[in-house]
Amino acid sequence: MNFVVNGIILGSIIALGAIGLSLTTAILNFYNFAHGASLLLGAYMGYTVLTEFLPRLGLGGSTFPYLSFGFPMIIAIIGSMGLTAGIMIVIDRFVYKPLRDRGSGPLILGMSSLFMALMLRNLVRTIWGPSVHYYSNEIQMVRELPLGIRITPDQIFIIGLTIVLVVLTQLFLKRTKMGQAMRAASDNIDLAMITGIDTEKVVIWTWGIGTALAAVGGVLYGINVQLRPMMGWYFLLPLFAAVIIGGEGNFYGALAGAMTVGLAQEVGTPLLQRMFDSMNVQVSMTGYKPAIAFVLMVIVLLVRSYREE
Amino acid sequence: MNISGILGYLATFAIAAGAYAIASLGLNIQFGYTGLYNFGIAAFFATGAYVEGIITGGHSTEHLGGFGLPVVVGVLAAMVVSAVLAYLIGIPTLRLKGEFLGISSLGIAETIRLILTNEKWLAGGVWGLGDIPRPLGNLVAPKLYNWVYLGLIIVVVGIIYFLVQKITSSPWGRVLKAIREDEGVAAAMGKNVYKYKMQSLILGSVIMAVGGAFYAHYIGYLSPESFRPLMGTFIIWAMLMAGGKGNNKGAILGAFVVWGVWTFTEFLVNYLPSALASRAGYINAIFIAILFQVLIRFRPQGILSED
Repeated sequence: MNFVVNGIILGSIIALGAIGLSLTTAILNFYNFAHGASLLLGAYMGYTVLTEFLPRLGLGGSTFPYLSFGFPMIIAIIGSMGLTAGIMIVIDRFVYKPLRDRGSGPLILGMSSLFMALMLRNLVRTIWGPSVHYYSNEIQMVRELPLGIRITPDQIFIIGLTIVLVVLTQLFLKRTKMGQAMRAASDNIDLAMITGIDTEKVVIWTWGIGTALAAVGGVLYGINVQLRPMMGWYFLLPLFAAVIIGGEGNFYGALAGAMTVGLAQEVGTPLLQRMFDSMNVQVSMTGYKPAIAFVLMVIVLLVRSYREE
Repeated sequence: MNISGILGYLATFAIAAGAYAIASLGLNIQFGYTGLYNFGIAAFFATGAYVEGIITGGHSTEHLGGFGLPVVVGVLAAMVVSAVLAYLIGIPTLRLKGEFLGISSLGIAETIRLILTNEKWLAGGVWGLGDIPRPLGNLVAPKLYNWVYLGLIIVVVGIIYFLVQKITSSPWGRVLKAIREDEGVAAAMGKNVYKYKMQSLILGSVIMAVGGAFYAHYIGYLSPESFRPLMGTFIIWAMLMAGGKGNNKGAILGAFVVWGVWTFTEFLVNYLPSALASRAGYINAIFIAILFQVLIRFRPQGILSED
C-alpha cells in the first residue's frame, strides 16, 4: 500500500513537469530536452529565495503546524515560479527564437535544448556545488492513516498543492482568453495565427506556465527528497515517458501518463524484485528504478510503430 | 617541460582525439548523411569499450572477463554487441518522428550506464574494470609505447575514414542523403526508408563501438563515470558539428579541434581562483555547451562544409 502512496507522490511531481512539457511540445512544436532543467532550476531558485533573500528581509524560521516549513516556503515557491519562468523566457528569446525565425526544424531546437540542459546543470554545480542540499534538516514524523497508509504531512501538502495547481491550470486553459488561444495554437498554430492570435504572446505564456509548473515540481521534490544537480536529468526520461504515454498536447493524458510512470517506478520496482527473488535471480531492482519509465515509453513507441504500418 | 615531455603529451592528446574521431565518423553516417539524431552515443561508445575490456582484459575473480583474447577478437565482439543494441533501439523508433530516436537513444545510454553501475559481476560496477592490456605492448619499451599506440590509432582512423568515404559516396550513401533531405520523396522513389535508416543506425553505432574499444586501451581502466552524457555523447556531437556534418574529413578535424579546445580550457581553468578551481570541470562543460550553441546559430555547416 505504501508503494502506491509513494507512487502517487512521485506521480504528482512528474505531473507538474509533464503538463508543461506537453504544452510546449504541442505549441512550440519541439521536444524540450531542457524541461528537466526547469525542475532543477526551480528547486535551486526556491532554495535561494528561502536561504538568501528571505532571511535578509527578516523573514524565516516560522513553520506551519505539522509541516517542516512555514510561510517562507510559500513565498519561495512563488518566487521560484517567477524566477525560473523568467530565465526560461529569456533563454527562449535569445537562443530558441533566433533558431525558430531562421526556420530551423524541431530537431535542431531539440538538440539546442539538450545542450542548454547541459549548461544549466553545470551552472548549478558551479554556483551551488556538486553536493546535495536540503530545505530543512527537520525529520518528519510519519502519520498512520486508515487503510495502513503511512504518509508525512509534507507529502500530503505535495499532493494537495499539485491538485490545486492542476485545477487552476485547467481553469486557465478553459476559461481565459489566453488559455483558449494556447489550446487553439496547440491544435494548429498556423490556423491560430490566421484567426488573429498573437502567436509570439502565446509562445511566451507557454514557456511561462510550463516552466512555472515544473519549478513547483522541483521545489516539491526538494521538500520530499533533496536538491542535487542531477535531479533534472533524472526527471527527463520520466517526463518524456509521461507525455508520450498521454499523447502530446493532451492535458489529461499528461496527468494520466505521469501517474502511470510514478506508480510504475514505485510499485513496479518491488513487484519485479519479488518476481526475480522467487526465480532466484540475483538482481537489485532499486538500481533500475529510472529505467522503468524508459521501458514503458519504448512499449508505447512500439505500439505506435505498428499503427504507422 | 622538456621536449620529450611535450611530445609525449602531444601523443597522448592525439590518441584520445583519434578514438573520438572514430566515434565522430560513426555519428557522421547517422546524422551527417542520414539525419538521424542519436543522443545516446555513450551507449555504443561504452559498449565498445567494456566489451573490449572484458574480452581482452586480464583474469579477475570479481567480474566477468579475463579471457585475455587478442584485440581483433575484442573489436569484432564489440561490433557485434553494439550492432544488436542499435537494432533493438531502431525497431521501436525508426518508423516514427526523428525525436523518438533521440529520446530513446538517450534512454538506452542511461540504462546501459545503470547496468554497468549496478552489476558488479559483469564489469566491476562502480569499482570499474581495470587491467586492460596494451596491444603490441611487448614491441617497445613502456616509455615509447604511446607512439606505437598512436601509430595503431592512425592506421585504424585511416581505414575507417577510407571505408566510410567509399560507402557514403556510393549509391547507398546517396539514398541516405535523399532520406535526410526528404523522407517522402525517398519513399516515393521506392526506397524502403526504414531499412536504410536501420542500416545507417547500425553501421554508425558499430563504428562508435570501435572508437570505444580503442578508447579502452588508451585509458586502461573503465568506470561508468567515463561514459556520462558529457564525455560519452555531448562532446562527440560538438566535434561533428564543429568539423562539419556530412563531411568525413570534417568529422576527424572536429574531433581534434574540440579535443584541443577541451584540453586547452582544462589547462586554463587551472588559473582560476582556488574557490572555483575545484569546480573547473563544470566550467569547462559550460564552455562546451556555449560553443555548441554558437556553432549551430552562426556556423551550422561547421568548419568544413558538406562535400
